[in-house]
Amino acid sequence: MGLAARFLEEAGFSTLVLTPNPEWHRAVGIPRSAAIEYPYGRPVGQVVDREGQRAVLLAALSVLVKAQKPGEVWHLPFTWPEEPRETDWQPPEMSPLIKIYLDEIKQARKREARKL
Amino acid sequence: MEKREKAIDGYRFLPPGLAAWVRTFIPEGAFKGSIPWTPLSKSLSQTSFALVTSAGISLRSDRPFDMEREKREPLWGDRSFRAIPRGMTGNDIDVNHLHINTTYIKQDINVMLPLARMAEFEAEGIIGRLAPTSYSFYGYQWKNTDFLTEAIEPMSRGMKEEGVEAVLLTPA
Repeated sequence: MGLAARFLEEAGFSTLVLTPNPEWHRAVGIPRSAAIEYPYGRPVGQVVDREGQRAVLLAALSVLVKAQKPGEVWHLPFTWPEEPRETDWQPPEMSPLIKIYLDEIKQARKREARKL
Repeated sequence: MEKREKAIDGYRFLPPGLAAWVRTFIPEGAFKGSIPWTPLSKSLSQTSFALVTSAGISLRSDRPFDMEREKREPLWGDRSFRAIPRGMTGNDIDVNHLHINTTYIKQDINVMLPLARMAEFEAEGIIGRLAPTSYSFYGYQWKNTDFLTEAIEPMSRGMKEEGVEAVLLTPA
């Protein structure tokens, strides 16, 4: 999504990415980000929570006004009401990519565990 | 540059193995390189918006994003895009994405593509206008940037034609 934002910004649009994973900015260089600690697939909020969705969007839109320089990441102060394991954001079946990289994923976890 | 009232942990919802793997793709330090920039030239209340998501949302009347080929070729992701007119609801759409649970978007499109909320903001004068058309593409593009010319570039032409000035992007 960061590359799409860069493309659109280059084409003359002011862009804002509302992202649950702001760390990608360091890899891609995203013009403006509003970071939100919400599960993947629901960055605006919970199903039929009109007021909650409005609050998130108003905060995100304010970042469009506040960001003054390329690459700013504003962290939004919202908290998802469920613990991560209760959010059920993952696909019902393991994605084809994860299946083929499963060994690499396990190794990455072991390497991190060794560093700790 | 990071502005924090609360520091977001972008890995909080990922299982530990997946988080460790994703971290292998992300450099430790700040992004080095130039970042394009188009300043917001008007107040929000005078600005025309479009929405873009990478969630694989299509209209029921559209061809759905191609999940079958991705199942056969796990490093391939559909590079097409769909126009989503304002006013669409969960009843009008299909969602195909092999990397998230799509149930919630089907129940309420606004959790990902907030067309109804932005239409409310337009009616209340908070934004100038929500354009007639918003867009979805398919965000799983593994080490491939062809989607920029095949999806994002034609979207950007459509946005220019509809007088869009600012774009809110929501990744899946």
